Amino acid sequence: MSVFAFLGTLEIGFIYGLVAIGVYITFRILDFPDLTVDGSFTLGAAVTATLIVAGQNVFLATLLGTLAASCAGLLTAWLNLRFNILHLLASILTMTALYTINLRVMGKPNVALIMEPTILTPFEGIFGIPDMYMKVIFVAICAVLAALLVAWFLNTQYGLAMRAVGSNKRMAQANGIVVTEKVYVGLALSNGLVGLAGALFAQTNGFADSTMGIGTIVVGLAAVIIGQSLFASRSMWVIVLSCIVGSILYRVAVSLALNADFLGFKASDLNLITAVLVALALVFPKLRSEWKAKQAERNNG
Amino acid sequence: MIRCNNLHVTFNHGLPTEKLALRGVDLTIPSGEFVTVIGSNGAGKSTLLNTIAGDIRTTRGDIFFGDRNVTKLPATGRTKDIARVFQDPLAGTCGDLTVEENMSLAYGRGKRGTLSFALNNKLRAIFKEQLSRLNLGLEDRLDSEMGLLSGGQRQSVSLLMSALQPSSILLLDEHTAALDPKTAALIMDISSQIIAEKQLTVMMVTHSMRQALDHGSRTVMLHEGKIIFDLEGKERANYEVKDLLNLFAQARNDGEELDDDKLLLGS
Ligand SMILES: Nc1ncnc2c1ncn2[C@@H]1O[C@H](COP(=O)(O)OP(=O)(O)OP(=O)(O)O)[C@@H](O)[C@H]1O
Ligand SMILES: [Mg+2]
Repeated sequence: MSVFAFLGTLEIGFIYGLVAIGVYITFRILDFPDLTVDGSFTLGAAVTATLIVAGQNVFLATLLGTLAASCAGLLTAWLNLRFNILHLLASILTMTALYTINLRVMGKPNVALIMEPTILTPFEGIFGIPDMYMKVIFVAICAVLAALLVAWFLNTQYGLAMRAVGSNKRMAQANGIVVTEKVYVGLALSNGLVGLAGALFAQTNGFADSTMGIGTIVVGLAAVIIGQSLFASRSMWVIVLSCIVGSILYRVAVSLALNADFLGFKASDLNLITAVLVALALVFPKLRSEWKAKQAERNNG
Repeated sequence: MIRCNNLHVTFNHGLPTEKLALRGVDLTIPSGEFVTVIGSNGAGKSTLLNTIAGDIRTTRGDIFFGDRNVTKLPATGRTKDIARVFQDPLAGTCGDLTVEENMSLAYGRGKRGTLSFALNNKLRAIFKEQLSRLNLGLEDRLDSEMGLLSGGQRQSVSLLMSALQPSSILLLDEHTAALDPKTAALIMDISSQIIAEKQLTVMMVTHSMRQALDHGSRTVMLHEGKIIFDLEGKERANYEVKDLLNLFAQARNDGEELDDDKLLLGS
């Protein structure tokens, strides 16, 4: 792998690290499988790119892209909490609606940012760092800062209450925790992080595209699973940071697989490879426990 | 003080599976009184406790804490007044969180969670001291995952958790039923200590007639959603386990006669 390709891999790894943290919050903390992210990733990118093209300040554009994605999360939470629509289905509804909304926001299937200022522009040339390094450093700082903030949040009284909601609703309620509020906040936070990832992706890659969000959820899950299997820890700091590590390792693994000619993979095989990887990672713990149970049975009988 | 006025609770209203779980419960429990609640399976004991706690909405009737009408207040709004221990040791704690995290949640019961750290050394010291009352060695396992503890250990921690934050009411729903006799006795002991210490108003559901008579100062029997027997003072002091069992048999017989009538009418 060339240095250039490696930097590209790192950059995208850090950006999807934000997605992984978001996915961790919904799937693992809240026990709320949320597929909204496929749409909110694109929404963050679409809103940000459109505003930048319209001449908005890049920071404001990024912030609004993030907030728009948060609102998408709130919508999913509302459908689930207010109308008792199954969480998965509620998130699929939002995701489907977002596909149209994203096209409307952009007014066309994609928006190019090649000649536009981006969130990176103000940092160009600082300390004489070449642009291609600057990009990676910038997204790395964003991802790590976000991870530290989220880990801190999950260690607060409020964050602990959110973890309790995902673990045992009855217990949470008996201790005065308002379950619905925590779900709203969690989904807004999660989708906000994913939207921020979309906004950064659009600016570092120079475009927003209506199809760019497809498969986001699976990539995020893959990163979470890889991260957690490498660092078995109870510390929120370790767990949240491991989402980023997982995301980078996933990207490295993918680019190695795609570059290994003898494997004969094409770039378009990526989704299948990822899906198989995630499926294996999800199936493995179950198979292992079934196998152990069978063995125990055999030993006793 | 807890006051229930003509409480009715109907499950699955209007469906073929409609169930009148409470049918007009009137009950006043003065502050500091310890009431044991008995009754056969399905009598409505858990439903009564859950309704007082706010988990279940009343179909008719009112609930007062002191002179506050709390009938419309959701469960989370009542947690300032009510602490609970459930029958299922898994229900009262979060298995994915550590012992200290669980205790921290209970320590904040009824308060709004803030953005300050949920745990610090001062809290850990408090939790340690509380846990050492149990003599189960749990004071050294603050950072163990709750899910790794045995049912009895979990229930013990649940009980301590219910007392971490001042409350006026304690609801115990067969909280020793899932435990071995030795642990059950220990838990009952600590419950009594806590109740006396904090002068709590208590409702304790139990299937053990011995427990029902030995603890508290009043015993009520529920049957098919109604209070059919309310025992206190001298009369209660003279009651034996076999007298209570007689009451049970009587209630069951009455019920069976009713069922026979229904059968006759149906055929
Ligand atoms: N959520 C529910 N939906 C429908 N029916 C219910 C529900 N909860 C309880 N019931 C019914 O209401 C009746 C009273 O149940 P409850 O759990 O209060 O009994 P209990 O006195 O606590 O019995 P046990 O001693 O077995 O715990 C039962 O017939 C039960 O089947
Ligand atoms: Mg019960």
